[in-house]
Amino acid sequence: MAVPDTVAARPGATPSPPTGRTPRRPRRPDAGYWLYLLPGAALFLLVIGGPLVYTGYLSLTKWSGVGDPSFIGLDNYRTLLTDDVFWTSFTNTIAMIVAMVVLPTLIGLVLAAVLFDTIGRRFRPRTAAALRAAFYLPQVLPVVVAGIVWGWILRPDGALNGLLDAIGLGTLSHDWLGDPDTALPMVMAVMIWVQLGYPVVVFMAALERVNPELYEAAEIDGAGWWRRFRAITLPQIRPETFVVGLTCTIAAMKVFGPIYALTRGGPENATNVPSYFAYFTFFKRLNVGYGSAISMVLTLIIVVVAVLFIRAQNRAERRDGGI
Amino acid sequence: MRRFRSVAVAATVAALTATSLAACGGDGDDSGANVLKLWHYESANSAMGIAWDRAIEIFKDEHPGVEVRFERKAFEQIQQNAGMIINSAEGPDIMEYNKGNATAGLLSSQGLLTDLTAEATERGWDKALSPSLQTTAKYDNGVMGSGNWYGVPNYGEYVMVYYNKELFTEHGVTVPTTLAEMTAAMDTFVAKGVTPLGMSGAEYPAGQLFYQLALSRADRTFVNDYQLYANPVDFKADPLRYGAQTFAEWVGKGYIAKDSASLKAEDMGTSFISGKVPMIVSGSWWYGRFKSEISYDWDSFLFPGNTMHAGSSGNLWVVPETSKAKNLAYDFIDITMRPEIQALIGNNGGVPVAGDPAAISDEKDRKLIENFNTISGQDGLAFYPDWPVPGYYDVLVSGFQGLINQSRSPEQVLDAIAKPYQDGVAEITRD
Repeated sequence: MAVPDTVAARPGATPSPPTGRTPRRPRRPDAGYWLYLLPGAALFLLVIGGPLVYTGYLSLTKWSGVGDPSFIGLDNYRTLLTDDVFWTSFTNTIAMIVAMVVLPTLIGLVLAAVLFDTIGRRFRPRTAAALRAAFYLPQVLPVVVAGIVWGWILRPDGALNGLLDAIGLGTLSHDWLGDPDTALPMVMAVMIWVQLGYPVVVFMAALERVNPELYEAAEIDGAGWWRRFRAITLPQIRPETFVVGLTCTIAAMKVFGPIYALTRGGPENATNVPSYFAYFTFFKRLNVGYGSAISMVLTLIIVVVAVLFIRAQNRAERRDGGI
Repeated sequence: MRRFRSVAVAATVAALTATSLAACGGDGDDSGANVLKLWHYESANSAMGIAWDRAIEIFKDEHPGVEVRFERKAFEQIQQNAGMIINSAEGPDIMEYNKGNATAGLLSSQGLLTDLTAEATERGWDKALSPSLQTTAKYDNGVMGSGNWYGVPNYGEYVMVYYNKELFTEHGVTVPTTLAEMTAAMDTFVAKGVTPLGMSGAEYPAGQLFYQLALSRADRTFVNDYQLYANPVDFKADPLRYGAQTFAEWVGKGYIAKDSASLKAEDMGTSFISGKVPMIVSGSWWYGRFKSEISYDWDSFLFPGNTMHAGSSGNLWVVPETSKAKNLAYDFIDITMRPEIQALIGNNGGVPVAGDPAAISDEKDRKLIENFNTISGQDGLAFYPDWPVPGYYDVLVSGFQGLINQSRSPEQVLDAIAKPYQDGVAEITRD
């Protein structure tokens, strides 16, 4: 996955014979190569570039979706700064990052290491594979289906309260998604369940490429499981950790489906997130300009986070390469 | 490469030409039209779906040689895309569309809907519909209640109290005729450990109950102020203050379950269908379903003591400005207003706007229509609480979830729902 900074010469390339002249600057890539980039570039412009520019334009307008937009400059952005719901939605994004990135990555790391290093060795590899598939199953389910099923479980007369009643803890029964104090933690719990399989699968795949001799040598030297996990597993799968962190952070920042299926941002905006807020503003309030402004701010933040992630990853790889 | 460029240019020119020609659609005389494109979003087995299937048959009989291209659409599909649909040449000639300022009003203000005023007068639709039913048909610069006709409703709806007769008998409760009797009835149920009123905080029922309570202290002036922006509305005064405070009181007294904030309207309906709750306050849209699914003895009564009730015309038949068969569209609307079609709506659990109760064979259906005619006749249709501004539905849902959870006081909820209302009205009336 990692690309070393010092790239070896291309196979088959032979050094140029000395000519006695000043070395020429490296040739620019052949113009013919650009032709191959055209389909991708056209698709990018059509699907991402164009709509992004148009959304940026709409964010500077007041528009209900029909008729002509009227240009209002930065008014929508000024309104955003004092909009409590907007800030609540971004605060909830932090909770989503905890639920979709931080906890699944940490738990996923430990689970992958246990499955690979312990279960995989002591039991048949098939056992580890079956467990890995079980963890991954929620990722296969359409997220709206998962949301609806969890909605049933967490209803006032749902399975969770039924279970609590059955084991004599009926006093703990609750309207889990209807109470602003418990709705967000419940959505977070569902998202951990949904997300967990992804890092487990990626990390287990990463562990497959780690040289087993490293573990054997460490064991001979008397290193326990925790020491091996810290000294071998973590550094070896760092590139995958970055990939999981980046993709899950982006997913958490633009999460929409589970919120739509579980709570529609309620109760009392307790689970509102920027994507749902933008959708609601765009389609329900018919305030297309304001909805576009929310989307633009969200896009900007995602791009900044992605760039920071990639830079951090490059820095770490340079550091590793220098060791 | 040159050949590719030539093909691309030709394709672009062809596409542009087609678009330009299409943009001209809808202009000129359409008396020779031989296709009527008709869209609606009623399910095939609903009262309206059944009635309109019959209307299509009658239309075909009376217009031999005209092809009816009917497409059933999803409600959300029309709700979210109507502007684009009818602004294109691919849209229908006649379409069912949502009533209200944010929908039919918005499109009418953009010149996308045909002005039906002349047809309404000539064909007598203005006589068939009561003044409060005409409110949703007329729009002046996008605001309903006055101006030209941009749609024609031919069914109605209203909010009532559905009750489980068997539970009433079992607990010795009689049908209340005043609000005081209603609370006494609910006290009886609470004393026997039964939550009397089914509720769902995650969707419209909570807002509608709040509005019904407010309407018990309201008159037409309030409704016109609140819905049509005739005058500013003070949310800290009655009737809205009374509505919110009484709602909170009802939660506190156990009339409404405190764990119903996350429930959907469907949950409330199925709870009533299964006989778990003695009463629900909801709309006539449940009537047909209750008739077919409830196995015990049930009935309904108007919200006790009120002369104003949440309710309105149903959705509208609109004719897009781009329609190529406007005259055929007017003929179709005219057919849906005929006694035969109106009776078909009534006999299938719907509420016809021009229905004759004598033509309704089922006693329950007849009562539903008689009640509607009573409300409509006394100018008692007060529309719905979320109508005034776009997006207000979710504001109300959020507010009343706070009251059900008892996490917010009535004053806090009134503040929370006042600001979006005032901002929205300012936005709408600014242009």
